[in-house]
Amino acid sequence: MLSFLLWLPVLGAIIIGFLPGKFEPARLRQITTIFAVIIFAWTIWLLTQFDLNNSGWQFSEYLSWVEPIGLSYSLAVDGLSLPLLALNGLLTIIAIYSIGENVDRPRFYYSLILLINAGITGALAAQNLLLFVIFYELELIPFYLMIAIWGGEKRGYASIKFLLYTAVSGLLVLAAFLGIAFLNGATSFDYDTITTQQLSLNTQLILLTVLLVGFGIKIPLVPLHTWLPDAYTEASPAVTILLGGILAKLGTYGLIRFGLQLFPETWSTVAPGLAFIGTVSVLYGALSAIAQKDIKRMVAYSSIGHMGYILVAAAAGTKLSILGAVAQMIAHGLILALLFHLVGIVERKVGTRDLDVLNGLMNPVRGLPLTSALLITAGMASAGIPGLVGFVAEFIVFQGSFATFPIETLLCIIASGLTAVYFVILLNRTCFGKLDSKRAYYPPVLRSETIPALVLTAIIFFLGIQPNWLLSLIEPTTDLLAINANQTEQIAMDN
Amino acid sequence: MVQTPINPTAKLPPSTHQFADIIHRLEAGGSMLPDTPENLMQIIGIYKAYAIPMDFYWRDLLYIAERVFLEPLPFFKYFLPQEYLDLHNHYAGDDADLRIWRGEATAHPELLEFMEKGTTFKMPKLLHHLWHDRINMEFAEACMRSMLWHGRDMGWGKFDAYLDTEEYTANADRAIKAYFKYNPVMLALYKLFPDMFLEQVRQLSYYSNLGLFWEVMAPVFLEMSDIYDEGGFKGVPDAMNFLVNGIFAVSGRPIYHHVYIRGECYEIIPKSKGFMWLYEAALPYVEAIFYRTAPFRGTKSYNAQTKQVPDEQKDFHYGILYADVFPVGTAGIPPTLLMDDMSHFLPGYLQEYYQKHCRGEDDMLIQLGITFQRSMYNVTSAVIQALRQALLYPLDDPNPKHLLKNRQFFEAQMDRFLRPEARLRDIQSQSYR
Repeated sequence: MLSFLLWLPVLGAIIIGFLPGKFEPARLRQITTIFAVIIFAWTIWLLTQFDLNNSGWQFSEYLSWVEPIGLSYSLAVDGLSLPLLALNGLLTIIAIYSIGENVDRPRFYYSLILLINAGITGALAAQNLLLFVIFYELELIPFYLMIAIWGGEKRGYASIKFLLYTAVSGLLVLAAFLGIAFLNGATSFDYDTITTQQLSLNTQLILLTVLLVGFGIKIPLVPLHTWLPDAYTEASPAVTILLGGILAKLGTYGLIRFGLQLFPETWSTVAPGLAFIGTVSVLYGALSAIAQKDIKRMVAYSSIGHMGYILVAAAAGTKLSILGAVAQMIAHGLILALLFHLVGIVERKVGTRDLDVLNGLMNPVRGLPLTSALLITAGMASAGIPGLVGFVAEFIVFQGSFATFPIETLLCIIASGLTAVYFVILLNRTCFGKLDSKRAYYPPVLRSETIPALVLTAIIFFLGIQPNWLLSLIEPTTDLLAINANQTEQIAMDN
Repeated sequence: MVQTPINPTAKLPPSTHQFADIIHRLEAGGSMLPDTPENLMQIIGIYKAYAIPMDFYWRDLLYIAERVFLEPLPFFKYFLPQEYLDLHNHYAGDDADLRIWRGEATAHPELLEFMEKGTTFKMPKLLHHLWHDRINMEFAEACMRSMLWHGRDMGWGKFDAYLDTEEYTANADRAIKAYFKYNPVMLALYKLFPDMFLEQVRQLSYYSNLGLFWEVMAPVFLEMSDIYDEGGFKGVPDAMNFLVNGIFAVSGRPIYHHVYIRGECYEIIPKSKGFMWLYEAALPYVEAIFYRTAPFRGTKSYNAQTKQVPDEQKDFHYGILYADVFPVGTAGIPPTLLMDDMSHFLPGYLQEYYQKHCRGEDDMLIQLGITFQRSMYNVTSAVIQALRQALLYPLDDPNPKHLLKNRQFFEAQMDRFLRPEARLRDIQSQSYR
């Protein structure tokens, strides 16, 4: 079942890539959408079949692949990866519609979007460390190409920077995985055969640090974040949505899946440091966002801040905090995608992202009133206003982390107030005020551009009002992760 | 009769004014609005769309001034009785004093149709009113208040000065006492606060003033539309000249204020006072409405304490010639109300034109607002030419000194558009929509 999810986008990419050149971009978009919708529908079907009382792996598939090096084609999902797969499916559809119909080299463009979907699905569903690394590295290529070809003015610089950073991230993760396997004398890289308990604490600490740096680049955490503002700003809205909405989540996914799960004992040792870095990321992201003049860059920095919450929560390692961390991954993915989609619309219609130029987009006649209204909603969701999914996730993060890291949590709460500050700046300058009549000949926003934003907004509202639908899916798995971590910690303390 | 001179400025060197091109155009008998077929089509179309609600405005303004008068709770002042719908316009119909429009003297058929059905369907007047599916008289009242408010300061004519005379006070007193003859409470209030009532009557005199002004303009605009439909106007200057000639033709029309109380007519401002339409209505109207008005609430936030609003009323510049017609928020802004009124009566060719530009149907109100701005620059040009003709010299005067006087007059008029808010620069371009 998971193989279908993995190979259908690959098949779609091949078919679209080899379609005759006579196909119009709009038709190619329709074909890509059909593939993306089938993929997403399949994910939804998996969600309906998922056993909420089972905290273990489900829908497992296994095929021995390259046995001598311990590589197997092993796929499965649990409550941590399945929601992210659903997010991946949804954001792929949103990304397809976040750029105008007349994209250059459309066959290549849409093929790459489907390949990104496949790469992320593979990484999330992989049950073998090497298989994970393969997908983790492979999806960098379509991302790099999409930034380099369809990016902004400084796309060359941004794409190379992105590639270098994230390739190093992949190498570090691979090095850590090889270290774990070789030092254990393991013959397979399958998750269920890998353990770190026989390794000394120092060895574990080194391996975990390498892993943390690797995933820290991907998230990214301060000070490993410098690729992000350039990549997010220069990439097209579609790429930014996929980068911020789902690719960055691979970093936090890896952190929890491999950091917390494989190194439960050492995790408690590094947790205070992680919480500190997370808090610094949160504050740095918020303060940097306040200083920005480019709305896309502002949203990019806000992303750094919000990813910091996940780190603080993961570091705390309690049932509630890990639940909050995963919920925040989903919430952040949805909200960030909405923000970037809307920022993309503003940029396409108005021709600028400059806060000093933008004004009065709420104007009901010549502005972008619906886009502005949705931007306000997205800003509210990001700032953690009750009733929206951002509030649920942040509240659980704070509640779950407070007992373990009270000062860091308090600083994060203050930073969430700063989120409101920069979004008020963004909204006040962009949406409100008097529309400049000399500039305001903006083309209308098309229905195909509005519908993705409305869908995301509806989900943000729905999960904000009925979060149990999300939490009940995640909770069994995160409970298990927290129990493992706490038990191991207890054993270590007893010894 | 205004005629375009063959070689109008041959005896003068070119103007060095910032708006030299426009001044040269005026000296050649043209308008501030460039002479293009697109501009002509736009302004004539909008004149027609303006004339029909204006036909309602002038009738209702006179109804309020003459019949509603000091009604303490004038809930139904916008419910025009049949008598005023049938009231004959003095410049249209067979029995006109001076027939400007060849159509009927009673209310325009399109107006009557709209009053019956609105944009919804046929239903009682009250429901149309509550649903706001009606002509927005609030716009007309905002214009009237602007004339009242600026009246003291403008120094035009003698109408406003007359409102402070003892004669006017005595006339008003008679009317007030007659109106409240059977209402001791109001009479007692009048005894206690006579100035309050008197001020209300002054305002009602401006209702009458504006009603009498628009009674002329509605048939003028309708006739221009008919001439255009017949292929009569060849360019913007033709349209402007028609206005100039119209202005002179009716310039002597008396401005008065009569009130009808229980069948008796009270002459608060008698016709015999000799207040003329041109000097007591047209010129104050142009000054108060086109140039000055007031910072409309909702269009933009003005902070008087930081000098965003000028200290002197004469420096006000919130009229249509300066207006940014973009509405913000709701439709409770006078210019927006007019745009809404005009949108019901747009000729087909203008609707088609708007569909092709900007956001088509969605921002038609803005587009027609800007067309209205263009058309009012043309009307203002007509007023400037009329003033020049009345006070100065012909455009083809052989005396260079006279031409220089004309030049100085035009330059002084253009100085009023030097401030950045003025839309004179914008209307020179066809892409300003």
